[in-house]
Amino acid sequence: MRVLVRTFSELCITIGALIVLFVVHLLFWTGIEADRATAGEIGSLRADWAAKAPEPGSAPAPGPTTAAYEPGEPFAVMHIPRFGKDWDRPVLQGTEPGVLRRGLGHYASTGRLGATGNFAVAGHRRTHGDPFKDFPELRPGDEVVLTDGTTWFTYRIANRPHRTVPGDIGVIEPVPRPLRREVAPFDEPGRYLTLTTCEPEWGSSHRLVVWAHLDATHPVTDGKPPALRS
Amino acid sequence: MYGWIWRHLPGNAWVRAALSLVLVLAVVYVLFQYVFPWAEPLLPFGDVTVDGEGAAR
Repeated sequence: MRVLVRTFSELCITIGALIVLFVVHLLFWTGIEADRATAGEIGSLRADWAAKAPEPGSAPAPGPTTAAYEPGEPFAVMHIPRFGKDWDRPVLQGTEPGVLRRGLGHYASTGRLGATGNFAVAGHRRTHGDPFKDFPELRPGDEVVLTDGTTWFTYRIANRPHRTVPGDIGVIEPVPRPLRREVAPFDEPGRYLTLTTCEPEWGSSHRLVVWAHLDATHPVTDGKPPALRS
Repeated sequence: MYGWIWRHLPGNAWVRAALSLVLVLAVVYVLFQYVFPWAEPLLPFGDVTVDGEGAAR
């Protein structure tokens, strides 16, 4: 009898410790790992771009690159001034859990950065560095700035964050067609951007979505775009 | 269970305490490195996509 009670108590303590450890892992450790991973991805991207940069005075860089995005590899850096002046995250190809641990994920089936179509990106709202923690703060007119090493793309947000259900695939179509048609931001094809994250903050019952259209492009040789100055 | 482990560790009390600490750290390492990353997608915090690709199934 005593052995039974003791074993049961030890089991309860073990399970309790496991749960506490898991919460620590989720709240704390994934953040540390994500910070390290995003810094690493951005660092390797910038080093890559610096190596490829044309010599000053040589022929101007060719147009936007058309090389296919490598699954799981970073290809752009996103800045959202609304989330803070220093907020920058790498954008990687794909939206698998392993990719989203290291940065924002580009839906592989959607358009290319800056091209006609819909460049759709997903990010964690909580855990893994909380990249999209302030997602509900986004407002129409906010800038989302991306660079692929040769060009700065400044997108301008069109709507307040729209709450929808997880299966609303229409929001990442080339011309976004959400289930609630009346919130559709655009009528005709264009150069669009979609950001998605989870809603509520710690849950998964819904998704938050914002759309943006390409407002301006600047070659990186001209320095930072207006949205990132100040 | 813990008593059984303690009894089967070699050495005096200090050595056993040190070995226990190493064991605990090893367990935490395995949990953080392998078990939790595996378990986490099974929970709902990571579902951020609309097409279900990144969602837990």
